[in-house]
Amino acid sequence: MPMYGDLGNKLVQHAKRTQNLTHLPPYQAELVRSVAREVRDLDKDVASMLEPFQGSFDPSAHQAMACTLLVNHLSMRRNKRCLLAYHRTRTDKLEELVWSGYDVLDLSAQQTAGEEDYVRQYGDLLAAYKGQWTDIDLTGSLEPPRDLFIDVRVLKDAGEIQTEYGAINLTKNSQFYVRQGDVERLIAQGYLQKLA
Amino acid sequence: MDIDDILREVDPTYHVVPRERRDLQDLTRAWVAERSAPELLHWPAGGLFERIHDNIKRQIEKVEEMTGDMDPKTNFALIVIQTELERFRYLVRSYIRARIAKIDRHALHYLSTDELRSRLSEMELAYATRHQALLHDHYLASFLSSFPPPLQNLNDTAGNITMIDAPDLESAVFIRLLKDTLVEGRGVDADGAMDGRESDIVILRWSDAKPLIDAGSAELV
Repeated sequence: MPMYGDLGNKLVQHAKRTQNLTHLPPYQAELVRSVAREVRDLDKDVASMLEPFQGSFDPSAHQAMACTLLVNHLSMRRNKRCLLAYHRTRTDKLEELVWSGYDVLDLSAQQTAGEEDYVRQYGDLLAAYKGQWTDIDLTGSLEPPRDLFIDVRVLKDAGEIQTEYGAINLTKNSQFYVRQGDVERLIAQGYLQKLA
Repeated sequence: MDIDDILREVDPTYHVVPRERRDLQDLTRAWVAERSAPELLHWPAGGLFERIHDNIKRQIEKVEEMTGDMDPKTNFALIVIQTELERFRYLVRSYIRARIAKIDRHALHYLSTDELRSRLSEMELAYATRHQALLHDHYLASFLSSFPPPLQNLNDTAGNITMIDAPDLESAVFIRLLKDTLVEGRGVDADGAMDGRESDIVILRWSDAKPLIDAGSAELV
């Protein structure tokens, strides 16, 4: 016989696992529905238990029932927190992807339609925020810059890029000495590798 | 982290007037403080960021102007300026990102009172409000709308447990004293106090360090 909160606990375990993954695991739609259903059932129980009292329930006169009500209330709130934690973990992950420059179309197909909307809208929000700092790429590297120029090796064909020293054709396995600022995006996307 | 390096970069020979050097110092201080403090600090007043933004823009223009020149001397200067520019950009980026990370983590907390709201810049306020609205919509669409109405709020305080998470103000920070002052700290078993000397480095709870920082007697390191 499953206990109150068992399902919520499962969600939290999923969330915990998600934190350590690089990709987004499939959305637990069934589990989310069950936890929400548990909350509605508990709420119905509470309502039907309180009904005969017509709002004049005295906890000290019915201690056993007061205890049941308290447990029900706590279970509902706990379930809510579990659901919030699960969804927040996923949105955090999605935001991380938006920050690192992924497009909604490049994401794996593990997110729900709702999450896809969220990514799109968060992407817009971030773009608007970034737009206020035109001269500073907010999504750029958070490593302190040491050298202006770096050696890079091309891992995947990336086509031609324009730099202030002319165009460079990035073909696989070639090496270049380029300005870090010009290729940062390509390194983040895995086209280039920085050589030490 | 070579802050000294960065400060040295702003060599007087690049006709930097003291105001700009002070701005860089303020920026570096704000950046270090923001990264070590457990809670969000005030957005710097007095148009610091507007000035820095203008400086960066000016340097970018200068770089563009100088790029066409093939003279080796200009070329060398160009590299120095570009390096400086990259470092400036890094400082600003890292500072803003540190703030956004804190705001994202405890958005409802920072939006909850006027005192806390005043710490955010206008842009950050707009960002935090919109982000929170997006999250709320997402929760509603995913599960919250099927909840009984009394349970749909995100800021319940029922049973003396608030749903709004707040940063831990009791976590430890390192501070450097800028003048001789009495340092008081609360401990687990007993409270302690010491006569601090200038340039002493002390570790204590953020809640105890904050008055010293606000009074200008110490800085975060």
